[in-house]
Amino acid sequence: MASHLDSNIIPESRQREAPRAGLTWIGQSIKRVEDPRILSGKGGYIDDIVVPGMAHAAMVTSPHAHARIVSIDTSKAKALPGVIGVYTGDDLATVVDPCPSFASPPVPQDAIARDKARHVGEVVAAVVAENRYIAEDAAELVEVEWEVLPANVDIEAALQATGDAVIHPGARDSNRALDESFSFGPVDEDFAAADQIIKRRLRWKRSSAQAIETCGVVAQYDQFKGGYTIHANTNFYNFIPFVVGGSLRVSPGELRIVPVLAGGSFGSKVFIHKIIIMTAGLSRLAGVPVKYIEDRIEHFTNSDSHGSDRLYDAELAIMNDGTFKSLRFTVLDDYGAYLQFGVGTHGNAMAQVTGPYKIGSFGMRVIAVLSNKTQQGPYRGFGSEVTNWVMERMADAAAETLDRDKVDLREQNMITPDAFPYMIPTGNIYDSGNFQAVLAEAKRLFDLEGWRKKAADLRADGRCVGVGVATCMERSVYGPTEWWSLNNKETPGFTLTSTPEGIAARIDPSGKMFVTLHSPMVGNSPETVVTQILAERLTVAPEDVVINYSDSQTGFNGVGPQGSRFTAMIAGACVSASIKLEERLKRFGAYMLQRRMEDVELKEGHVAVIGAPDQKKSFAEIALTSSFFRLAFPDGDEYDSGIDCTAVYDHPISTDPDPDRKHLGIFYPIVGHICHIVAVEVDPGTGKVSILDYAAVHDNGTIVNPRTLGGQVWGGTANGIGTTLSEEFVYDENGQFTNPNFAEFAMPTANEMPTNFKLGHVETPSPFTEYGIKGGGEGGRLGAPSALTSAIEDALSVHNVKISSLPVTPPTLRRLIREAGG
Amino acid sequence: MKPAAFDYARPDNLAAALQLLRQGDDTKILAGGQSLVPMMNTRLVRPARIVDINRLTELDYIADRGDHIAVGALARHAAVKASPLMAQHFPIICEAYDWVAHSAVRNRGTLCGNLCHADPASEMPAIMLTLGATMVLANATTERTVSAGEFFVGLYETVTEADEILKEVRLPKPAAGTGWGFEEVSMRKGDFAWATVVATLRITGGAITAPAIALAGVGDHATRLAEAEAALTGKTPSDALFAEVANRAAAAIDPPTAAAVDATYRRDLVATLLPRVLRAATNRAS
Amino acid sequence: MDTIAIRLTVNGRARTANVPPRMLLSDFIRHELALPGTHVGCEHGVCGSCNVLVDDKAVRACLMFAVQTDGAALTTVEGMCTKGLDDIQTAFWEEHGLQCGFCTPGMLAAAHELLAANDDPSDDDIREAIAGNLCRCTGYEYIINAIRSAAKKRRERTLEPA
Repeated sequence: MASHLDSNIIPESRQREAPRAGLTWIGQSIKRVEDPRILSGKGGYIDDIVVPGMAHAAMVTSPHAHARIVSIDTSKAKALPGVIGVYTGDDLATVVDPCPSFASPPVPQDAIARDKARHVGEVVAAVVAENRYIAEDAAELVEVEWEVLPANVDIEAALQATGDAVIHPGARDSNRALDESFSFGPVDEDFAAADQIIKRRLRWKRSSAQAIETCGVVAQYDQFKGGYTIHANTNFYNFIPFVVGGSLRVSPGELRIVPVLAGGSFGSKVFIHKIIIMTAGLSRLAGVPVKYIEDRIEHFTNSDSHGSDRLYDAELAIMNDGTFKSLRFTVLDDYGAYLQFGVGTHGNAMAQVTGPYKIGSFGMRVIAVLSNKTQQGPYRGFGSEVTNWVMERMADAAAETLDRDKVDLREQNMITPDAFPYMIPTGNIYDSGNFQAVLAEAKRLFDLEGWRKKAADLRADGRCVGVGVATCMERSVYGPTEWWSLNNKETPGFTLTSTPEGIAARIDPSGKMFVTLHSPMVGNSPETVVTQILAERLTVAPEDVVINYSDSQTGFNGVGPQGSRFTAMIAGACVSASIKLEERLKRFGAYMLQRRMEDVELKEGHVAVIGAPDQKKSFAEIALTSSFFRLAFPDGDEYDSGIDCTAVYDHPISTDPDPDRKHLGIFYPIVGHICHIVAVEVDPGTGKVSILDYAAVHDNGTIVNPRTLGGQVWGGTANGIGTTLSEEFVYDENGQFTNPNFAEFAMPTANEMPTNFKLGHVETPSPFTEYGIKGGGEGGRLGAPSALTSAIEDALSVHNVKISSLPVTPPTLRRLIREAGG
Repeated sequence: MKPAAFDYARPDNLAAALQLLRQGDDTKILAGGQSLVPMMNTRLVRPARIVDINRLTELDYIADRGDHIAVGALARHAAVKASPLMAQHFPIICEAYDWVAHSAVRNRGTLCGNLCHADPASEMPAIMLTLGATMVLANATTERTVSAGEFFVGLYETVTEADEILKEVRLPKPAAGTGWGFEEVSMRKGDFAWATVVATLRITGGAITAPAIALAGVGDHATRLAEAEAALTGKTPSDALFAEVANRAAAAIDPPTAAAVDATYRRDLVATLLPRVLRAATNRAS
Repeated sequence: MDTIAIRLTVNGRARTANVPPRMLLSDFIRHELALPGTHVGCEHGVCGSCNVLVDDKAVRACLMFAVQTDGAALTTVEGMCTKGLDDIQTAFWEEHGLQCGFCTPGMLAAAHELLAANDDPSDDDIREAIAGNLCRCTGYEYIINAIRSAAKKRRERTLEPA
């Protein structure tokens, strides 16, 4: 370990439930408890919320990428029957302040633009009307006079912009929002000592999650209390009051955020505070509850959740024996018109930037670029999907340079199972792993040797067939220092350090266990996970667990599903709650059985005497007696009536960044590992890629529910296939977003997915989390792009085509082949 | 994303519908609505009046008329695709329909409506050109027939007048032994084509006769390739011939350049797909 | 705005309504009939989330006007489970054919139509049948498994002696 990491001490494990064989419920593919209501159409999504007297909002949006608002005339719109009000940014500003920005220093953003529009689709006025049809009619009648300004579209040109092309002249005198350099360990020395330096320029283009449900809000201002009741499909509702309270000029406690089932997020619904602030403000201005549901085009053009848009100049220092010595890069990232969370997506990538490899040092210069595009937000991978791809591209390049087999070279450099917990140059740790076992399983599932022969035979027939491999990390259970650790040290901004998760649980007199979560469902399986863990730890029957959701006023410390954290974190909260409930059950049960507490145990929903299991009291009997017959028990607080508790679990292992950023601390330590191996065929005449075979092996530690984890892997892989082959936001030179619709932004359908996907698992439990659980919500997208790119490049090796930019759509691939003479 | 208001009429028969069409401008005929309604929802089109022809059951037919098959204005894509008459005489249509949107859209959309919409990247206009279809256009007083070649005149533009309905399309039954080929490249199956290439031909005495080739997705509207057809006629099929014809055809077209798909790519597609289509047609010809 | 009176059957029950001509069927189902199981994902006819059965054919509810359902029989996801989850819904549950569930009602409509016509579909048939329905969660595999499983059980039931 390099000396710059000396101050980064690994805390002791707080694990209480060790991973072990013979668990009853953990590890079972039980059917999801969430599903019956969803399957019957009663899921309860944001657009299902109806509030008495509710009006509907529609937006007037900018047709220009960058334009000054000269004037807005709302008179015709206001005169339309059925219209309650029409509001500009200046109107909204009478009741709300600008949106929060965690950038350092902040980049200001109004929920409705005031002085100018900074991207196509930005809202410049809103209509509130009796129904959405009338609201849209009125929106068309709003007349905006524009003064068009130069549009920043190209990532490198945007950095050179001056004058009217500067997007936030009040806050920045250029479009360079942040420019910071870091060196973790002896980077210069390692590069000086290297036998060879591999260089690649790599481009990852913009797309986004595009969950099938858009974002939406129903907001109601309470003129008497002065606060708001807000339904929103954010996965951050427990935190949103603190994010938006300032903007809404109320204390967080005066906001009641009510969660709904979200129709998919993949990160995109973490930050939807802009439309929450806007809709809340509209409800206050209009004096009625207001519903605003983004339409699909608005979701493309104005939902602040575009994915990474990066240009890397990367270098890998290697020795001739194949050793990877050091990695460094300069990265430009086109964040769009605003910078809501700073460069958190690069902070995230620092968790695993050197991949599964023993690389001793790492250096980076990160430049956040502002452009006239919709701003970035989270998307499955949160920046690490890009660095995984960069690392794997460099590994392939190294193999080619050294004329080595790309699988063997990876294996040579992998961290070995005896080296965990392993600290990477940035200071994050990998808690555990067995990368070699994952690779071996993937080779077996895929039949790598068989495919190599098959590919050679097919190539001999003139077909462009190739095999690709990716061995990647899947960090999980994030700590929030990633949001700010790369900020300017003097003005770090928002310095949150805790990501807790909590539950409340009560066994009622009927014996049912009522559990309240402070985290929404977004397509993950929170109720199933909690049911399985509580059933395991407390020996209750899964069907006796009933799950509800708190709102922001009735909940407890929590963060919600993001960063592949929820399962591991809620498992901790469930164990904490179980310990408390067990104490209560045993105390009352032992008294009822006239035994000492240490003489009884939990057994199949009962408190039973150890060694005499026939002497037992059911949880229902105990809860009934303790709840309703307090006088049957001795005096004393410990016999206060009822079997209930709340429990909060804090991040299992995290430390602060070094003050001088010699390292970033431990912030994303529960690491999974993934290996994808894929065979593809390219039709050189059309550039179409066919996936011939696909194997994915994921190690996510102890698996709670193999089938739901499988669903995550499959879904993430589908996202990764789209990212690699077809999904790209295409802007023209004027900053027009040319394909903001489902017809032209091509997400994979069932026809685009591999037909023979093989899924495998290795289980290397975490020593830090309860039962050894690791997160597994992002791995598919963290691995698929690297494996597919590797395979396509291999398939086209006869043409010497190099893939250095994603997505590689058929027209793009055909152009590369044509330019190579094919 | 809601349509602007419109007046709505739902005639019960063709005569009533044609009377309605006489009465005013800015009227759109609503058949399947699978192209029209998305454009209305996004307010790219906002007709003052909609004449819904979905009750004109008299036009819901696929009929064998001896030398041709007639497809009425209300015949849905799904019905055409599943029709035994089509399978017998026009397997190319059944196969090509796999590339036309998806089943729920095909359940509503109509062949005639699709042709009237004249999307440049739509498959069926190219097939109509290849098969030598005839369009029957009716107004309140008269009917006229136009060939497919005359019917498509521009981007989303046909010769149909505002007071006319494409009442039926007539597909002449191909001569025995006609072979056919269909190839398309789009981002996803079901998406609009970057290039569609269609061909039919016969082989007589080892030589190509009556070749018909059409392209879609590479210009304002689907077009026949007369030069390529002439170059093939009477020749012995060979890969070299097909490649030469295809390369010349690719060079002759003037495809649009969209942000993500450039003209060169579309030319490459024609050069790649046309030989495959001709080979398939040759193999199927007997 | 002028409205037009329509009569239709909704999930087996006769209904009447007065609708403006421009009201989309999807909005009519969700907001007038108060059947929120039909979801709106794109309103331009691509995602398939709003697929419902009109006279037993799967159609995009965002591409029809409510007025066009006059005289029709409409089946939404709510109508598929009047006596508990039906066989296809049950298969989706058993095979983990849904995650967020937003696309699911449209998938179910597509599956209903497919299995009504073909109780022994190949995987390619299934893919083709649901290719017009976008799902961002599942990667489709478990949906395909669910439909295959539902078909198999239907065939087995048919073979059982009465």
